[in-house]
Amino acid sequence: MATPRQVDVEITTACNLRCAYCSHFTSPGDVGEDLSLETWRDFFAELGRAAVMSVTLSGGEPFVRPDLLAIIEAVCANRLRFSILTNGTCITEEGAAHIAATGRCDSIQISIDGADPFTHDAFRGRGSFGLAVEGVRILREHGLPVTVRVTVHRRNVRSLPEIARFLLEDLGLPSFSTNSASHMGLCRKNAAMIQLTPEEHSEAMDILMDLAERYEGRIDAQAGPLADGRLWSEMERARLEGLDTLPGRGYLTGCGGPYQSLAVRADGAYVPCSQLGHLVLGYIGRDDLLTVWRTHPELQRLRRRVFIPLEGLAFCRGCPYVPYCTGNCPALAYNLTGETDQPSPDACLRLFLERGGRLPRARAGVGGH
Amino acid sequence: MDDVNERIPIANPAVVLREEFDDWAIVFDPDTGQAFGLNPIGVMVWKSLDGKGSVAAIARRIREEAEGVPEDVEEHIRTFMEAAVRLGLAGYEVS
Ligand code: SF4
Ligand code: SF4
Repeated sequence: MATPRQVDVEITTACNLRCAYCSHFTSPGDVGEDLSLETWRDFFAELGRAAVMSVTLSGGEPFVRPDLLAIIEAVCANRLRFSILTNGTCITEEGAAHIAATGRCDSIQISIDGADPFTHDAFRGRGSFGLAVEGVRILREHGLPVTVRVTVHRRNVRSLPEIARFLLEDLGLPSFSTNSASHMGLCRKNAAMIQLTPEEHSEAMDILMDLAERYEGRIDAQAGPLADGRLWSEMERARLEGLDTLPGRGYLTGCGGPYQSLAVRADGAYVPCSQLGHLVLGYIGRDDLLTVWRTHPELQRLRRRVFIPLEGLAFCRGCPYVPYCTGNCPALAYNLTGETDQPSPDACLRLFLERGGRLPRARAGVGGH
Repeated sequence: MDDVNERIPIANPAVVLREEFDDWAIVFDPDTGQAFGLNPIGVMVWKSLDGKGSVAAIARRIREEAEGVPEDVEEHIRTFMEAAVRLGLAGYEVS
């Protein structure tokens, strides 16, 4: 692709919260400095010239930037659409009205991890639940497309049915997505109290797959227990049926990001993705976007990752799932192994089973045992 | 067709042309979020919607510059313009 379709922009490194599993703080993206509005304006003009279609504004917490609305104006002035990732606690009527008036907002994703303050605030801080729910209300009142992300952890895994009911029935959201706290940022030091054990992960997969069925497609996931449950069930079914392979499997194909998107840290460093913040490809204002996109050796290397066969990797040797596996996320692989050209041990089915995990119960149309 | 009195097509300046690979492209309307794929001839047509030439003139230029252009390219361009106008991606210069 000649230019990125989409760019993730961390417009600030600051946040009003300190969630125990925050992937930003203590990561390479935690740069301790923010760029000026002027610098971002110039950068969005460059994105416009490159015919980029959309940006995702994140942080830190984007709404703590006092000039957020001016940043959004600069985005829109350059023929871009935008999405925002937020904890939802700093949203005002005025801000929501302004965002709605642009007509360019694709989504605003708010993190809600519980159906009550006790569960949500456990790892996000006292008072954050009430403010986040109020944030959802304000945005919806202004007709904005709100989505909610639930991070599954040890303290909310058994409350998932209540969380689904709260979000889909009480709040009446059309859908929500889930993931789990992964081994990045602050989560690394708090892993024991946050990250699911294999037993809890097994339970979470079953609960979420049941809920996804019951709420008919209104719960989704790109990562975490629900995504694992679906992928691993499919892999197990393929193995039991003795299939040669599955389309696009057997290689490190877990991430197509480097083919279509790029990210920028709060200090202006180009990185392949916010979760690969250590891989600096250049700096906005100093290095030309398209030169970085088309020629940087690290990006080229990440794009070639999809040609690396799993059977050639020592980690996967002898695994019966090799022809059906994708090796999953390179950022997670990096955080756990120090290398991106490896599968992620956190999403490895063989390791999960060796550690006592269970595959989800078989369901109509979904494999497993 | 005679160019005299013909309307002059022009692209909506708010719409983005994204050239992706192998001369294929997407036209993207940031106000609606809608995107439409264009083949290489479609890309040539889109780039010609500069408010300077009629559909007949655009068809002539494309026949000169590209190979394997169908005989009825002018008709294709008119159909393309009808769709583009309907979707708000292009319009006609008001003289
Ligand atoms: S997870 Fe988000 S809301 Fe929580 S501390 Fe990190 S940046 Fe702030
Ligand atoms: S060892 Fe893990 S990552 Fe490798 S193929 Fe098997 S399940 Fe996939």
